[in-house]
Amino acid sequence: MNMFSKAQDAPKSQAELIYEAQARKERKFRANVGLSWFILLFILVFTFSGQSFTIGSITFGGIKIDTEFIANNLAFIAGGLGETIKISLMSIVLAMILALLAALGRLSTFPPIYALSTFYVSLIRGTPLILQIFFFYLALPQLGILLSPLFSGVLALGLNYGAYMSEIFRAGLSSVGKGQREAAIALGMTPTQTMRRIILPQALRFAIPPVGNEFIAMTKDSALVSVTGFAHELMWRSVKVGRAQFHTLEALIMAAMFYWGMTLILSYFQNVVENRLAKGDR
Amino acid sequence: MLPIVKISNLDKYFGRLHVLKNISLEVPEREVVCLIGRSGSGKSTLLRCINFLEEPSHGSIEVDGVKVPEDAKGAERRKLIHDVRLRTGMVFQEFNLFPHMSVLENVIEGPVIVKGMDRKQAIELAEKNLNHVDMLWKKDEYPMRLSGGQKQRVAIARALTMEPRVMLFDEPTSALDPELIGEVMNVMKKIAFEGMTMIVVTHEMGFARDVADRVIVMADGGLIEDSKPEDLFNNPKDPRTKALIDRYRAEEQ
Ligand SMILES: Nc1ncnc2c1ncn2[C@@H]1O[C@H](COP(=O)(O)OP(=O)(O)O)[C@@H](O)[C@H]1O
Ligand SMILES: [Mg+2]
Repeated sequence: MNMFSKAQDAPKSQAELIYEAQARKERKFRANVGLSWFILLFILVFTFSGQSFTIGSITFGGIKIDTEFIANNLAFIAGGLGETIKISLMSIVLAMILALLAALGRLSTFPPIYALSTFYVSLIRGTPLILQIFFFYLALPQLGILLSPLFSGVLALGLNYGAYMSEIFRAGLSSVGKGQREAAIALGMTPTQTMRRIILPQALRFAIPPVGNEFIAMTKDSALVSVTGFAHELMWRSVKVGRAQFHTLEALIMAAMFYWGMTLILSYFQNVVENRLAKGDR
Repeated sequence: MLPIVKISNLDKYFGRLHVLKNISLEVPEREVVCLIGRSGSGKSTLLRCINFLEEPSHGSIEVDGVKVPEDAKGAERRKLIHDVRLRTGMVFQEFNLFPHMSVLENVIEGPVIVKGMDRKQAIELAEKNLNHVDMLWKKDEYPMRLSGGQKQRVAIARALTMEPRVMLFDEPTSALDPELIGEVMNVMKKIAFEGMTMIVVTHEMGFARDVADRVIVMADGGLIEDSKPEDLFNNPKDPRTKALIDRYRAEEQ
């Protein structure tokens, strides 16, 4: 007994020491990355502070930005945030529906459905997003379809992202092993029940992290909708006040900060979700 | 007496590969049949033709009086196949539990979704069967957190809860660590002794010897021997059977 209790105070085992050394190394790495980020951020801010400094014969001049303009127009540009989020949310929902349909269409043995799915993906992926945005804005009214300019933007973004995201859902569907389908069929499930109850839930779960990535990308591509001039989101607002008051640079910097901040927050949440999924139990 | 499973003149081709060659087989109620044979001899395909996981190329299948004739087509054929599947339970080598559902949800899925059974009634039945395979204590666990033997016992409970007339087992212990084979075999024995009709593809000669009423040997897509276990093990008729048994014996040592 005595010998055992002594062993408790004994020096740490080899494995423990190695583990601790690794953990220390990792902490140090993360601290240094944090510090470097801070320095980079400082340089970035310095660049726009109007200060200049000289090393030898070279003078680095900072860009002078008008802080008064920023203060005066912050509220106006920030007012576009809600619109940007609204456009992105509506577009990603549309994109997910289209992507899922396109992915299911690729599995169809009915030629017209298979063709429709591949035709859609090929056409959309073969043309630029900005062109599609202009196109929907111009073409829909001529077809007699009168959508608000905002919705024509959402339609273009949703269709575009849907075509790319169909690949995600296709991968999700094929990630479900064939044993799952067989087990469902052996229980007597119909193909529809098998898809709805067994295959789709697993495929969608697989698709959550990549769809998160697409959503983050979408928040930035939503800026392209500003070209139609009717969706008053971040980009449109910053260009508008910037041009009007000859301070486009300041306006763009403000918009950039909003986009970046939004991306950081969304990435954080995406990490949380991803970690929770990785743990496995739902 | 009506056989529970009746296979008549079954042929199966995969492309040009002739995998099952004119197989006929009857399994009466309460009988336990072990199907043995070398890898690739067609055991799985035969089993999977019974519940139409594979479409037979020729021949008819009849389960518990529901006959799917060779010439049944379209909606009528689908209906008959569905009726056959309701009368058969299948247990796979790889368990194939649904990973996004808890143990209990796995087991009630069939009765609730396929049979439209009342959820409460399904849970009652499921818990009875989970208890039977000694897995009730894990009913809220997800499959990922179970050992292979536990997964397979849940898979057996899932099949039983559909109240099939015949259970089909395709190498149910081949994916298990040796120390986990016993718990699954014991559950299968229990079900057999309770009178379930069973067709079992297996390499476990102990199970064949102790539990089976008949052992059928497959080779090259045909049934080359069909006897009582003691006859088969003591004086095999076909030299291929003898070679197979000698191999199994060597592996067991
Ligand atoms: N889906 C399939 N497509 C093509 N060939 C297959 C398929 N399934 C099985 N086979 C072939 O059929 C033969 C019998 O296979 P199987 O029934 O799995 O044998 P066993 O279960 O006895 O090992 C093998 O030659 C195998 O390669
Ligand atoms: Mg097999």
